[in-house]
Amino acid sequence: MIQTLAFYLFAFLVLASGVFTILARNPVHSVLWLILAFFNAAGLMILVGAEFIAALLVIVYVGAVAVLFLFVVMMLDIDFAELRAGFVKNFPLGIAIALVLLAELILGIGAYRAGALELGVPDGSAAPLMDRSNLENLGTVLYGKYLFLFEAAGIILLVAMVGAIALTHRGRPEGARGHQDIGKQVRRRPGEATEMKKPEIGKGVEL
Amino acid sequence: MVDLSQYLPILIFLIIALGLSALFVFLPMGVARLTGAHNPDAEKLSEYECGFPAFEDPRSQFDVRFYLVAILFIIFDLEAAFLFPWAVTVFDLGWSAWIGMMIFLGILTVGFVYEWKSGALDWE
Repeated sequence: MIQTLAFYLFAFLVLASGVFTILARNPVHSVLWLILAFFNAAGLMILVGAEFIAALLVIVYVGAVAVLFLFVVMMLDIDFAELRAGFVKNFPLGIAIALVLLAELILGIGAYRAGALELGVPDGSAAPLMDRSNLENLGTVLYGKYLFLFEAAGIILLVAMVGAIALTHRGRPEGARGHQDIGKQVRRRPGEATEMKKPEIGKGVEL
Repeated sequence: MVDLSQYLPILIFLIIALGLSALFVFLPMGVARLTGAHNPDAEKLSEYECGFPAFEDPRSQFDVRFYLVAILFIIFDLEAAFLFPWAVTVFDLGWSAWIGMMIFLGILTVGFVYEWKSGALDWE
């Protein structure tokens, strides 16, 4: 009973915030609605028992991806009139993408109807996984059977990191302040930093 | 099936929070509407800056370095997320899982060293 109520609450809020993500005129408001959708999707994930996925949604999507979206939205100089102008021209493309997404949804439902996925390995050597938390199940599969794919994920993350730096990082302009060279500071001796002078009387100091 | 009864306190907190936030938003609006004068005017909502109309759009363009910081944060956030299932199962899976995670961390450390040395973390 409570689960049903919670499901309808979360599902309604996901749909509503998704609609408002599209309809909001201000792109920053769009991102905030998207964050609300992520939170409610996390609630739905908890309801189906995927607790780790729910935690990931909050940690990665709300904590990091939404912040990235906000920065990107603030970085782009968005002209609303220009955005609206392209609507009719891009309408067929939008419809095509929506159809692709619809086909994916139908395929996904069909695959779900076709039967449950077996979590164990095909030869049955893995222990039955049902009595453990899904965090443990995920770890067993990810770091056992799919270890090499996991390493590939690491390499993809490395490529993303290097790519982001190469694309957006401009080298330091000449003479920029604020770079601290600790070794240089530690190497400095009092003799180099100060200079004793004994000016003669009546004459100034030559610098 | 996961035991969902442990989440009941969170749901109760959520409902209380929803109720309180709705109250804090709508109660002042309702009280103000019932007790005060209600004369909406477009001039009351216009921008106003020390007696002058606003000179320019307050939203300025952000520096691209914010994007760089955010995407680097995502990558290390994901790295930390991968550690959770590993930490629960590494004793069952043995050395292969341990070595695999160390290689993964090593790959990302290479990226971290590159990031540090190229000055992407410096903020002048």
